[in-house]
Amino acid sequence: MEAQKVDMFIMTNAKFFGSYQINAIRERLLALDDSKWAMISTLQLKDPTTSLIVSLLAGGLGIDRFIIGDTGLGVGKLLTCGGLGIWAIIDWFLIQEATREKNMQKIQQLLF
Amino acid sequence: MSKKKLYLLLSIACATGYIWLIFTYFNNAPNNGIGICIFKHFTTIPCPSCGSTRSVISLLNGDILGSLLWNPFGLILVAIMAISPIWIFYDIIKHKETLFQSYTRAELFLKRKWVALPAILIVLANWAWNIYKGI
Repeated sequence: MEAQKVDMFIMTNAKFFGSYQINAIRERLLALDDSKWAMISTLQLKDPTTSLIVSLLAGGLGIDRFIIGDTGLGVGKLLTCGGLGIWAIIDWFLIQEATREKNMQKIQQLLF
Repeated sequence: MSKKKLYLLLSIACATGYIWLIFTYFNNAPNNGIGICIFKHFTTIPCPSCGSTRSVISLLNGDILGSLLWNPFGLILVAIMAISPIWIFYDIIKHKETLFQSYTRAELFLKRKWVALPAILIVLANWAWNIYKGI
């Protein structure tokens, strides 16, 4: 793919991924066929900041985990009052990284 | 989520659950005002799973109707807490990943629209019932 397109994608979507993943994504995108651009550019990615806000407000009910697609963990949190409240607090610090990880999994299906 | 992480998390959750259960069972904690639910502390409204400790303890005392009246979710918790340690043990011994596969399948099943919507409605209805009961 053209470097210009790739750099534009990286610039607009850098916040969805961890900083250590950006380089790998960029290299894979450069090597990728142009026909995949439509799929890559319309990818629905979750914003880590949004999930942090949801986690702070409704983490005790597991809604943050449901939103990023971790349904099993969401049910676990919901049924245990947010893991007796402890898990809910731990997740305030983990949820952003978990969201980035989920985004990476999503884009990986297209890249590899 | 990786297999190792799931098994570790489930084991920790089960162990904490059993410790909490033993603690409350011998201290009669649910009835002496000690509440663990942060949601309830902040909002004074019970959360959807408030009352599940009391539900599990009712079940341990042989009172099935009582446990259903406290919180039906308690029965799901009992099932998970009873089955998962045995299942994890079986998987580790046999070097299989049946629990992980079932977990992934259950997650996909729950994400379907016609399963997720009724499930959400049930949780909301149970929550409304919890608030009505004033647990």
